[in-house]
Amino acid sequence: MNNTLNFSQFRHQSKKGIVIIYLNLLYKVFKAFWLLLFLFIQKFAKIPENTLTFIYIGLGFLLLFFLIRAFLIFKNFQFKIYNNHFILKKGILKKTNTSIPFDRIQNINYKQNIIQQIINVHEVNIETAGSSKAEISIKALSIIEAKALKKAITIYDKKDAANEEEIIEKPLLKIGFFELIKVSLTENHLQSLLILFALLVGFFQQISYLFDGLGKREILDNYISENTSTLETSVVLIIGLLIFFTIIAVLSSVVRVVLRHFDLTVFIKNNALEINQGLTTKKSVVLKKAKVQHITVSTNPIKKWLGISFITFKQAISGKVKKKQDKVIKIVGCKKAQVLEIKNLLFPNENLEGFTKNLPDIYFRFRLYFRTLILLILINIGLFFGFENNYVFGLNVIILPIFILFIKLKYKKRYYFFNEELLVVGQGSIETHKTILPFFKVQNVKLKQTIFQVKKNVADIVFQTASGKVKIPCIPIEKALLIYNYTLYKIEISKKSWM
Amino acid sequence: MIDSFKNLEVITFPEIANITFRKIEKSYLKVILINLSLLFLVLFALLFVADYINFFELQYTFLRFYISLSFVYLIVVFIKIIGLKKRKYAVREKDISYKKGLFFKSLTTVPFNRIQHVEIDQGPIARFFNLASLSVFTAGDSSEDLKISGLLKEDAQQIKEYISNQIDE
Repeated sequence: MNNTLNFSQFRHQSKKGIVIIYLNLLYKVFKAFWLLLFLFIQKFAKIPENTLTFIYIGLGFLLLFFLIRAFLIFKNFQFKIYNNHFILKKGILKKTNTSIPFDRIQNINYKQNIIQQIINVHEVNIETAGSSKAEISIKALSIIEAKALKKAITIYDKKDAANEEEIIEKPLLKIGFFELIKVSLTENHLQSLLILFALLVGFFQQISYLFDGLGKREILDNYISENTSTLETSVVLIIGLLIFFTIIAVLSSVVRVVLRHFDLTVFIKNNALEINQGLTTKKSVVLKKAKVQHITVSTNPIKKWLGISFITFKQAISGKVKKKQDKVIKIVGCKKAQVLEIKNLLFPNENLEGFTKNLPDIYFRFRLYFRTLILLILINIGLFFGFENNYVFGLNVIILPIFILFIKLKYKKRYYFFNEELLVVGQGSIETHKTILPFFKVQNVKLKQTIFQVKKNVADIVFQTASGKVKIPCIPIEKALLIYNYTLYKIEISKKSWM
Repeated sequence: MIDSFKNLEVITFPEIANITFRKIEKSYLKVILINLSLLFLVLFALLFVADYINFFELQYTFLRFYISLSFVYLIVVFIKIIGLKKRKYAVREKDISYKKGLFFKSLTTVPFNRIQHVEIDQGPIARFFNLASLSVFTAGDSSEDLKISGLLKEDAQQIKEYISNQIDE
């Protein structure tokens, strides 16, 4: 490691950072005004020559303005390390001075988007568990600087820092391209389709604004209504659409998985997991053992057949930030041995084999049926008011068996058991999830009963952690109380830090 | 096969079922009733205005709306009165618990060593009756873990101080 790097003086990020900041600014502006730009290009031919020159000059000034702004942002962005605090000065007119004590720093992550990859700099994000204001992002550092900075910060809280040099650089898990394709083909395609849909709906809204502006709203409406009327009549079209959507769904999950998890490598370092992944945006995340609240091991029938599962790590998240994607860390394509190794790293010396699975009360199934019934009634009311045609009620014939199958699976896959330190909760319908939660990470416990549950002597028990809820539904009240008391006992005698 | 429950019986630990819960102050009922009445007063006023300008352009009289709204008011008041009796709290050596609910019962316990901060606040009407509510916050995305309304101001202060002392230890 380069020891000449000295963070005790204020320093700038890498000079290449100006480029990154500049492009970032332009991208933000483009994202806000792309519709205007589109209109402008469309009317391009109609604009007289001298107005055009003005527009060009204006545009030039704008670009220059942002360049100067980027330069000033760069110039005013300085950081140093002082007295076990990370100190950051920034702001052109409104100066901000942030100081974060090392022990509040949760993670230091590297990221590289495609431009950062081209000019070979790394973005360093410093995550804290506290307020969202304290999240720091240094846009451009060379790899040497980034590593040195991270070392300077982490060396402090690791007493066994000397051991760090001896780490064997052998990954616990490395997913090659073909394996990744295998993973992506067995994803939940319905979910991918929904994500794609959500994206498209957002896009469609923007487009329809555009058409509105052009006064061509009617064309679009006509186009849509024409197509929907044919949709009602033609069965062939429906089947065609189904096939089309299936292909789209599979493709979108392949693209999504490959983009996010490309070249996934997991190292175990210093009692922490280091996860590197991503194609266009390379991300490197360090997962500290103590910060992980609970993990979920999931699989689905095809994945199970292939012998792979994925692990979701839930970290403590700060109240107001809702960047769920960043806080939930996923490792895909784990083999059984790797799952075991990760489990042993996070929860050493814990035996979870050979326990009887405690099943939920039969009331749980009753409740599932009851809720499904309400949903069905709602759907049918919707159908009644939404369509003239009586044939649509035939839909019930299709969805009813699916619902019943789901309930059966859901009921079958629910279980829980625990040893002295860990609670294990199983759930799922088509997918199977197994959540492992150490008792002492729980922040509050809740016992819930509806008036019907009181009669049946069952209760739901909800464990609230710093990263979300874990729920065991409908178990006998005596058992629920036992777990309740035991959890409180475990939390109250615990001296370990839980986040 | 190991049974999780049998496995635990070696240790005895404090039981939540055995502690006595305290009811919240009776005078809090007045606060609830005044707040509710104010809300319904506004609703009635809106209804009256709608009636006056004939907003819905109905042929028949508005009487049925007045009657149904009064009916709703009575039901809500009734539920609140019974529900109030179900609101109970308990402070133990190391945690604080709160029970509530008539149709949806719930019991929540927050251990002191997971509490980030404690807050006392008083609404204008509650202040008149010298009542306050105590909120307890933990870290993470659970915005408000436990809120006990209708405590005497002094009681709330005392509990807050007790918890603060426990956290600092």
